[in-house]
Amino acid sequence: MSCEHTQEHLLDYLNHQLSPDERQTVETHLTGCPDCQIELHTTQQLWQKLGSVPAPEPSEHIRPAFYAMLASFKEEELKPQRPSAWVEVRQWLQAVFTPQFVGQVAYSVCLLVLGVAGGYWLTTQRQEAASASTGQQQQLAALSSQVQEMRQVMLLSLIDDPSATERLRAVSYTKELKRPQPRVVEALLSTLNHDDNVNVRLATLEALAELAPADPKVRLGLVRSLSQQDSPLVQSALADVMVQLQEKDSVKPLRRLLAQPDLNEAVKNKLQESIRSLSGDDSNLTPSTHETLLHTQPAQPADLVI
Amino acid sequence: MLKVKAGEVDRMGLLFERYHRKLFAFLYHMLGRAEASEDLVQTVFYRMLKYRHTYTGDGKFRTWMYHLARNVLADHLKQNRHAVRHTDVAAMAESIAGGPRADERLQQEQEVATLHRALARLSADHREILVLSRFQELKYAEIARVLDITEGAVKVRVHRAMHELKAMYLKIEN
Repeated sequence: MSCEHTQEHLLDYLNHQLSPDERQTVETHLTGCPDCQIELHTTQQLWQKLGSVPAPEPSEHIRPAFYAMLASFKEEELKPQRPSAWVEVRQWLQAVFTPQFVGQVAYSVCLLVLGVAGGYWLTTQRQEAASASTGQQQQLAALSSQVQEMRQVMLLSLIDDPSATERLRAVSYTKELKRPQPRVVEALLSTLNHDDNVNVRLATLEALAELAPADPKVRLGLVRSLSQQDSPLVQSALADVMVQLQEKDSVKPLRRLLAQPDLNEAVKNKLQESIRSLSGDDSNLTPSTHETLLHTQPAQPADLVI
Repeated sequence: MLKVKAGEVDRMGLLFERYHRKLFAFLYHMLGRAEASEDLVQTVFYRMLKYRHTYTGDGKFRTWMYHLARNVLADHLKQNRHAVRHTDVAAMAESIAGGPRADERLQQEQEVATLHRALARLSADHREILVLSRFQELKYAEIARVLDITEGAVKVRVHRAMHELKAMYLKIEN
């Protein structure tokens, strides 16, 4: 073993940090090497002296300083753990819910509530309106039927009024009646036959002419009315209506009317024209049966009407 | 220490009583100033409390303590980079006051003072490893753990440190 190698191990040898084998080799070298013995000696001295190098004792302050530190550490570290979590949460909340943010949130919530309330209100309103409108329609229907009845009553009362104007108004009501009662039709026919005023009779004729297509009673009344009219205006108007309605039953009364002596020339022409127009179509049919039908028919309702 | 880690912070008092002198000595030898060393002792114990969760329990508490102490020391030196390292001249002047005497005890004291100065002049690595092995009486295995080097490297470094110390001692003595 070389001196260098031995010297490297001297300190370990002194510190008893060598294995028994290494220790043995170092010792055998030392016995035969005076240089290394001196080296060992100086190293040993140095090592021992180093051990006696004084390290000053820490001062008196170090102990109280440590315990003060420990106490403050406990306060800082251990106690604040829970409060700090609280504080953190609170700080976070404060950071998030700034007054401005809260205002915005409140505003949007208000808007939302308004919207929902408005929507709810509107839907309920619509439902109410819907139910109300059906009710109104029913009411309206009831009302209009009442009005119709009112008009018919009005007509019946007015048609006997002394004033011709009022009677004309009564007749004008028939235009607004959808389905006149039989009483009304009778009243109108009687007005047509008996009213003093020619204008009223003409207006009544006009009103009845409109009702005639739907009501056979009206047609019958009109045909029978031919014989009762004395005014040339009403006679010719009646003849016109007959032609309009193509009322074949009216040919015979028309002829009878034509046979009257004191007949207006214009009316005479009108009647002849009408008869021609009505019986002209008739020529294809068998006149006899038709004639008999014409004969029998007006006779029966004559008692009915007047 | 494991009890400290588990929350029994008061147990740290026991560790303080047991180790603060050694720690102070280590720091004093490394730093050369008593007052600053005392402050650093506090810092080391504070870090023990603060980073108690990093103590794994394997390995001795001593090694962990020196590990922390070295870090504290490094931080301290980094902060006081320009501060000149010096030994307590007053204390030293006291020990060598009166000059050399024939008295053997005094001569020995002078030799120790010289050695102290020689130690103070060593490089930080060499001073550290001598302090740890001689003053703190750590085994090589422990030193290896503290310094995070192999045991063989510790041996080599101790040998070189002794060699340098010897040279420094002779240089001062002459």
